[in-house]
Amino acid sequence: MLEVTELDVVYGRTRAVKGVDLRVGAGEIVTVLGANGAGKTSLLRALHGAVRPAGGRVVFDGRDLTAQSPAARVTSGMVLVPEGRQIFVSMTVHENLLMGAYLRRDGREAADFDAIYDRFPNLASRKYASASSLSGGEQQMLAIGRALVARPRLVMLDEPSLGLSPLFVERLFGLLRELNDDGIGILLVEQNTAMALEIASRGYVLELGKVVLEDSADALSSNTQLTEAYLGGESLPETSGA
Amino acid sequence: MMLFLQQLVNALMLGSVYVTVAVAFTLTIGILNFLNFTIPTLFMLAGMVGWALSYWGLPFGLSGPLHWALALAIGIAAAIAVSLIVERFTFRYLKTKYGDSTEHAIPLVSSLGFLLIVENLVRIAYGTEARRFPGPDANMTLDVGGILVRIPQLVSLLITVLIVFALVQMMKRSRIGRGLRAIAENPDAANILGIDTKRIVPVVFMLTGLLCGLAGALFAVNYGEVAPMMGEDIGSKAIAGMVIGGLGSIWGAVLGGLCVGLLEMMTVHFFGADTVQIVVWGALLVVLILYPKGILGHHSIGKGKL
Repeated sequence: MLEVTELDVVYGRTRAVKGVDLRVGAGEIVTVLGANGAGKTSLLRALHGAVRPAGGRVVFDGRDLTAQSPAARVTSGMVLVPEGRQIFVSMTVHENLLMGAYLRRDGREAADFDAIYDRFPNLASRKYASASSLSGGEQQMLAIGRALVARPRLVMLDEPSLGLSPLFVERLFGLLRELNDDGIGILLVEQNTAMALEIASRGYVLELGKVVLEDSADALSSNTQLTEAYLGGESLPETSGA
Repeated sequence: MMLFLQQLVNALMLGSVYVTVAVAFTLTIGILNFLNFTIPTLFMLAGMVGWALSYWGLPFGLSGPLHWALALAIGIAAAIAVSLIVERFTFRYLKTKYGDSTEHAIPLVSSLGFLLIVENLVRIAYGTEARRFPGPDANMTLDVGGILVRIPQLVSLLITVLIVFALVQMMKRSRIGRGLRAIAENPDAANILGIDTKRIVPVVFMLTGLLCGLAGALFAVNYGEVAPMMGEDIGSKAIAGMVIGGLGSIWGAVLGGLCVGLLEMMTVHFFGADTVQIVVWGALLVVLILYPKGILGHHSIGKGKL
């Protein structure tokens, strides 16, 4: 479904992503792991079109979207749930969902709003309340709901468990499984390695912008070297001249 | 007491011109984080184009109200057209990101360039003198219990209220309005959801042109004259009104514009016309220091609900 080849992302003089190959099959859960600064967010931004990659290709369902706008990706069925949720706090809960369906012109959005409210009763009871009144976990549910009303076939999530209570983290991962059962592909960028590998079928490990490991989730879970090297984390050889 | 009420009515009428322009400033500040200096130019253009058309006997040699109304309508259209051209040169062709606060100086400076270029072009063409605009009789009045209300001014006030109300409803309920609010609050998130800033930002400039053009046209009708520099005075007072009312709030701009009208009337009454700008901008500085969010602004300045 999603085929990424030789992707390069460059910010000024920094190469944040270097020649990444990545694939998400239809209905698959794939996770991208890596320490802070490994290039995970840059990778997602390039996949979603917010940043134009310096090289490589992003192909979704046979369509080359590399040079396309985020809008083109959303209408093709790729959506991003950004880090820190980024819901619109000056709007109501319902208006946030309307923003998710901004590009839809099929006139059947109402049914999908109902489905979201069925899934998240907490949101239903606060439909016309300001989104700023929601708890962190509820805001994450709203961010996911907002992504779902675009009717995606691939949902990309950037650190969705960050800052959530353990209870909400459980619910979140349960939800991702449910979505996957409905046939939606998931690309999950996570720091919560254990949880991510538990629901994913495959995983990639990024280090300094490169894929250093790619394997099935089971193999990655049992790879103690990975956990050590990975959780050893913050080995950023910052060679800034300052 | 009667005199006071009469002054209050006059202030309301005067303020309604500032209101429309202040709302235009608020739109570009609130959505694009951009202090649009071409606003005074757009205001002036509507009036001057309307006057020039009348002066040359255009359009179509009509006579009477049909004539000046059509001339002003074309003036408003000119303001909208110029505003869209400004969008190209302050945003689109320059390498700035929409709503990026770190580079907001670039559109600001280029819009200042537009202000000076257009004003001077008009000055070369028609000189600096004020020109009489052959509108309706500005002295048609309505006597309400001893207080005189000029009918054209009353109509202007009603049009202003109507247009602001329509704008607020549009921002609240329409798809484009929601898109604009999304960009205002969080351009990154809006982009992620597929809201194309390149397509929607011209809408802001169209609305700016419409509001300023309308204000300029109403001004020409109410005061019976136009001048190449008429935008500067109105523009600076509208900025003051916007800040006093609360940056980023449309209703704040309305209240602030009316406040400035009131302040101006009182100042003229007590200290004379020369001191008006000093008092108005003095009030702006006091508000910025003591109560920076203004009357209706949000606690994080400029991030109110549009």
